[in-house]
Formats: sequence, structure tokens, C-alpha cells
Amino acid sequence: MKTTSARHPDSAGVEGKMENFTALFGAQADPPPPPAALGFGPGKPPPPPPPPPGGGPGTAPPPTTVTAPPGADKSAAGCGPFYLMRELPGSTELTGSTNLITHYNLEHDYNKFCGKKVKEKLSNFLPDLPGMIDLPGSHDNSSLRSLIEKPPILGGSFNPITGTMLAGFRLHTGPLPEQCRLMHIQPPKKKNKHKHKQSRTQDPVPPETPSDSDHKKKKKKKEEDPERKRKKKEKKKKKNRHSPDHPSMGSSQASSSSSLR
Amino acid sequence: MAEKFDHLEEHLEKFVENIRQLGIIVSDFQPSSQAGLNQKLNFIVTGLQDIDKCRQQLHDITVPLEVFEYIDQGRNPQLYTKECLERALAKNEQVKGKIDTMKKFKSLLIQELSKVFPEDMAKYRSIRGEDHPTS
Repeated sequence: MKTTSARHPDSAGVEGKMENFTALFGAQADPPPPPAALGFGPGKPPPPPPPPPGGGPGTAPPPTTVTAPPGADKSAAGCGPFYLMRELPGSTELTGSTNLITHYNLEHDYNKFCGKKVKEKLSNFLPDLPGMIDLPGSHDNSSLRSLIEKPPILGGSFNPITGTMLAGFRLHTGPLPEQCRLMHIQPPKKKNKHKHKQSRTQDPVPPETPSDSDHKKKKKKKEEDPERKRKKKEKKKKKNRHSPDHPSMGSSQASSSSSLR
Repeated sequence: MAEKFDHLEEHLEKFVENIRQLGIIVSDFQPSSQAGLNQKLNFIVTGLQDIDKCRQQLHDITVPLEVFEYIDQGRNPQLYTKECLERALAKNEQVKGKIDTMKKFKSLLIQELSKVFPEDMAKYRSIRGEDHPTS
């Protein structure tokens, strides 16, 4: 597997612009004509020598046809008054005028990644990986970048550990110290209300006969009813005590104070 | 193509699981678990051998370095794919806009030049094989 350094967006932009412009003006990779070639360079015939004073019969008219300059296409030679003519890019050529995502059948991937929100953390991508993988790699020196910058020394093949070598892996009994138990630390997972509901519904419910369940419900109701009634009664009593219509309102404070005692 | 990755993924998952189990054994080591530890250590060696074998099938795969940066920062690598696609679409739209503008400019230029240099532009069109000015 190889790694490629993708272009930086900015640098890629400049290069991309150049590429697209070359596509616009023709597939030929000719360098742009020097400013002199645009009008007065070697592409244009040298200006006729100044006519002798008074004019003479030997003066020849300037040539009407122009030979193609060295930079231009051969096909453009003899194009009348035009020079530096180039063939137009073919219509079949792939340019930025076509939707390249559709062209390369990437709509599905585009909708997949750009249609919905992609979760930010690495643990969402690799949920089964143990340990705190959301922390930056530089934190515990486990970055992939360091693996590329300082590749490990590969001795060759992996050989199984023999009996004598295994003697080096005899460990002391007992638990590991706290700071070494990184493997068991998992990133906190957010509790989802909907998930909870689903898990409830997914849980296998022990089969119950309808009569049994009805009986239980009734029992519950019976158990709850006296408590509720009592509470309601107490509330009513309190209300009545505090209401100004209540005959014992005047003595309410005394009763309350007595209750405090 | 996908089989190669499935194969590697399978081996990596097994390897990670072995490492996890090894971690559990080591975290509270008992003398009775020495045999299990030795077995796990050899599983890890065979796991590494299996992963190494996958290397031959994947030598033609290229991975952008930027993905590694995402992973090193603890970010989801799918975000890289997302950003790449978004960037590609934005660039595509930009270039399309430029091409459309240049086409419009060309047609306008030909139109205006035809007014000033009708004969020359007629020749030009005949060379280009265009009977009518492009719109």
C-alpha cells in the first residue's frame, strides 16, 4: 500500500485553473506566444524596408499571406490573414463543463457523505475498537504519521514464540496499576432516547396469558387506589384549611403552630 | 477488489480482538492464566503473519496522506471523503462558470469583429467550418 500526498486545496486550485484554461484554449501544450508574437514578433513578416525617397518602380507590395510561426500548428499554415490558429478542442474532451460527479458515477457516494451529517469522531467510524481512539495520536505517540516518518525496522518474517522465549512473558500476579489500564477506557457514549425505546421493544417479553396480565393490572390499581385516595384527601384538607371560607381559618395558625411543636 | 479489503479487515478485526483479550488477561494476571497468555501471544504472531500476507495483494493501493492526518487527530476519515467530494463539486462549478463565460465572450467577440472586419471574419468562419456566428 502506498501513500500519496494529495494536493493542498490552494495549490491544487492554481494548478487546476491552469489545466482548465489549457483545456479551454486547446489541447496542445504549446506555451503561450511571447508578447512579440502577438503582433510584431517573428510570426509576422518583417516590415517592408522604407521606400526610397520619391518612390520607385521597384517597390513591391507587402505579402498578403503569412507563414506560420514556429509555435503554431502546421495545419494553421496558410490560413489567410490569420496566424497562430489552433485547432479547437474536441467536443468529446472531458472538461469542467460536465458534471464530473455524475460522469464518474459518484452521485451515490456524494449523497451518502454530503447528504447527511457525518459524525466527527473516529470512534463513530470504528465503534468496536477498544481504547480512547478519539485522542490525538501525538498524545500517546501512536500517530500514523510517525509510522511513516520513522518506519519500524522490519527484521523479516514473523516467527512463533517458542517455549524458551515464552519464559520471558511470565507475569506477576495481581491487577495492573491504574495508569496502565488504558485498554478498558471507552469513550462515553451518548444515550439515545429513541434507542432506549427500541431496546425496550426488542427485549424478549416473557409470554403472558391475557388473563394473567389483566389480573396484575387490577392488583396494581387496587394497591395504588387507597394511597391515591389518602393523598387526595390530605390535599383537600389543606386547601380547605387555607381557604378564607373555612370556619377554622382563624385557628389555622394555631393548629399549624401546634403541628410545628 | 473488495475481497482484498474484506480479507484484511477480517484479519485486523481478529488481531484487535486478540489484543483486547490479551489486555484483559494481563490486567488482572493469575498464575493459572499463564497458559492462556502464551496461547494469545502465539495468536498475535500468527495474526501478524496473516496481515503481512495481505500486503502482497495491496501493493497497488494508494492512500492519501491527508487521511492519516484525520485519523491522527481522532477525526472520522469519512469527513475527508466528504470534503473531497464537496471541493470537487465546487471546483467543477467554478470551471463550468469560466467555460460558459469564455464561450459567451467568444461569441460576442466574433459578433463585434464581424461588424468591423466582415470579410476577414467570413474567412475565419470558413476556416473554422462555421457558417453562422456561434451564439
